[in-house]
Amino acid sequence: MDERRAAAAAMDRHDHPRPSSIPSGDGSVWADVSPLLEAACADLQEGELIHGDNFNLFAAMSALEIMDPKMDSGMVSRYYSVDEAIENGAAPVPISFDKTVDVQCTIDIMDHLLACEATWHKGHSLAQTVFSCIYLLRPERTSSHALLHSYCRIIRATCKAVVSVVSDARTHEEEDLFTMAYGLPLIGEDEKCLSMLNAVEETIARQLRACKAPLLGRKVIEDLEPLQNNPALEEGYCKAILCRLRFRKHFYHVLMCLKRPQGRGLQLARKHISSCLSELELIRKSTEVLQSNNNETHNCGEDKTTASGCRPVGFDASINTRLSAPTPPRSIKILSWSEAIDYFVKLLHDLDTICSFSLDASLEGILQFMTLLIQDGKLYGRDPIFAVIIKAAGLPEILRNHDIQNGECLVQLVQLVINLLKILSTNAAWQRRKLGKILQDWRVIHIQLELALRQEIGEESGLSADQNGRRDILRQILVWVEEQTFWIASRFLMLGFELELYSPSEYCMVYWYIYVVLVKLAERMHHKLSFTNATAKSKGKKKKGSTKDMSRDIQMPASVLFLQPYICLAEGLTMMLAALRNERMLSQSPSPFNSDHERFIQHFELLQKAGVPDHISYQSFEESTKNVRFSTLVMYNYFKDAQRMAKEVKNSFPNDPERQSELRRIEQVAEHNSVALTVLCRLGSLDSSLKVSFDFSHHPYFATAVVKRS
Amino acid sequence: MEQQQEALVPVGNPDGSDINYSGSDYVSRMRNLLFRRMLVGIKDGRFFLGAFHCIDKQGNIILQDAVEYRSTRRSSPSPMEQRCLGLILIPSSCRTSCHVDCSIEEQLSLLSLNQ
Repeated sequence: MDERRAAAAAMDRHDHPRPSSIPSGDGSVWADVSPLLEAACADLQEGELIHGDNFNLFAAMSALEIMDPKMDSGMVSRYYSVDEAIENGAAPVPISFDKTVDVQCTIDIMDHLLACEATWHKGHSLAQTVFSCIYLLRPERTSSHALLHSYCRIIRATCKAVVSVVSDARTHEEEDLFTMAYGLPLIGEDEKCLSMLNAVEETIARQLRACKAPLLGRKVIEDLEPLQNNPALEEGYCKAILCRLRFRKHFYHVLMCLKRPQGRGLQLARKHISSCLSELELIRKSTEVLQSNNNETHNCGEDKTTASGCRPVGFDASINTRLSAPTPPRSIKILSWSEAIDYFVKLLHDLDTICSFSLDASLEGILQFMTLLIQDGKLYGRDPIFAVIIKAAGLPEILRNHDIQNGECLVQLVQLVINLLKILSTNAAWQRRKLGKILQDWRVIHIQLELALRQEIGEESGLSADQNGRRDILRQILVWVEEQTFWIASRFLMLGFELELYSPSEYCMVYWYIYVVLVKLAERMHHKLSFTNATAKSKGKKKKGSTKDMSRDIQMPASVLFLQPYICLAEGLTMMLAALRNERMLSQSPSPFNSDHERFIQHFELLQKAGVPDHISYQSFEESTKNVRFSTLVMYNYFKDAQRMAKEVKNSFPNDPERQSELRRIEQVAEHNSVALTVLCRLGSLDSSLKVSFDFSHHPYFATAVVKRS
Repeated sequence: MEQQQEALVPVGNPDGSDINYSGSDYVSRMRNLLFRRMLVGIKDGRFFLGAFHCIDKQGNIILQDAVEYRSTRRSSPSPMEQRCLGLILIPSSCRTSCHVDCSIEEQLSLLSLNQ
């Protein structure tokens, strides 16, 4: 014990600043209480504490534990500060006085920064990824190194632009690490950083021409210094740097184009995206040359974050951990070099898809794409949401300026649509939670609209043409709201598969619920479209009950037909699972913790609360599945129907590759399940060695039955 | 959690009176330091300044409204960076020094302990 104290005292004397550098109070001093403290602790009883009246054990539990690596972000690791790291030569400028080495190291820094940037995009803090680069933290230091300086500047500007785009979109949560940039020199240097990058690019392009010149027998450019000392490597290095600089330039342009209001930069953005992609290919190709020039033997293998495989100079991920507060410190694995390139390729392809998206699509189209751009409360900053709703509800375009939109409930509806779009652009887990919650809001709007409609009908005496119009608008929007509510519910349910929230023993009730919701959805869709057709045919001539007449129309609209195979598949799966359960052929035993009823409530509570759909309960599920047996299923094979429908519907979407491939997946699931069902019906009750399991090898949400003999 | 709580709950004297803690003079002097400004140094060179809130038998200290001080250089003296941390627990295993803000007279009485 004494030894330890002596050692501590020695450390205090030699290695640490004295407490005198921290001011004590006026007229007072810092008195060493360590001896008293030890004496008092020795006298304390086991479990006894010294504390005041305000002590609260529960609150004390939340104290931040110093030196706990999971809580204490301030732990001193290698360096005390950025400045100390720099003084210790962690980030020299120039990186080496040997120009060849300097160029090699600069390329490594560029590459590692790209890997850091991808890691940041994947959700880690900026401070611990991109800004683990000491060069980035001290902008003025690199000014004598034009190449490194220009690259660092464009990186900072790019990060700033990305942070601002994400912040403006408001799709992030308060605690998201992504937009946190406190204390980092995120300087937006828009114009200047590009001109500087261009100048450096120009120089290197000339150096590249110069090194090729002797080979081509042209006149050597006298006044131009080569990039580095080794003529054999000059061309490779010039090329490697050029594609890296050009990638940064085009990527920055892409961001700037995307930020332009009303999607006016989208066409130009696509050009830059394709340039980015081709530069990325060149960067990827440069790997070979850089690797062969790498004399170091310690290649970091698969984990390498640079093309050459060398560890980059000037990075320390621990130096900034304090800046990533208020989150606890996390250990971060930077993506590897090839992962980073793959990530950017995918990102650029995704951006290209967004940019190529037609801004004239219907609301359903957007929901499918899940891309959005809401500026000033307008879709793409251009179309008022009310007009979008009118279009989606199948009402004539002329109504887009109808004064009905100023009514309280329509104002709220517009807000709901905006919220829905924002929710759809988030990750699956968050999206599902929010979708479950907003179902209530849609339900409330539905009730309000219903009341408003009833009021309109009540005032029917002395019906003017205008009032008549209002009634139709309300009625049609009401149907659309219902349709939308069921669409949200179906998405909510299906996302549960993606998030692996359901256990196989619950599939039966999940598919049953999906089936019920899809039937309602198809009904509303049909209802809505038949009205649209009616108005289109009668051109404004309205007669009572016209919608009813149309619903009897045999010709089903394509979008409704599209739902049919899903409905059949969901019903078929429900029935097959119910039969398996009832005939005790599923291998898993019932959960020991909670009953089916409890699990039904756990999964569908939000839908039940919002009454989506009405009059649906656990009892109705039980009623419809308890008597299902394979002997009854023999009569009708749902999967055969699903397969046939999917095949037929394909013809309705000849030019829609997305839907085509979706329908193909559905067809496959249906086909496999159809075979499985036939086998089970024929042999199920006779052959006890048959084991059935389900997987999602053909479709993410619709399970495929696998029958095996054990 | 439950067990931990039990262990940390202050125990009274065997005679059942909760108010009389350990009768030790050292303990009561230590108790007098509660709410005072305390400066704790730890192994990695940082200091924590906060109101003395609690200490247990093992010497783990809780400070309230604590501020972290860290020097920006390994070589002392050097400028200090600081940031607020709030309620912190400093395990005795990493503590290297402990000072209390007090008047000169008081310091003398604390020093008398060593004799």
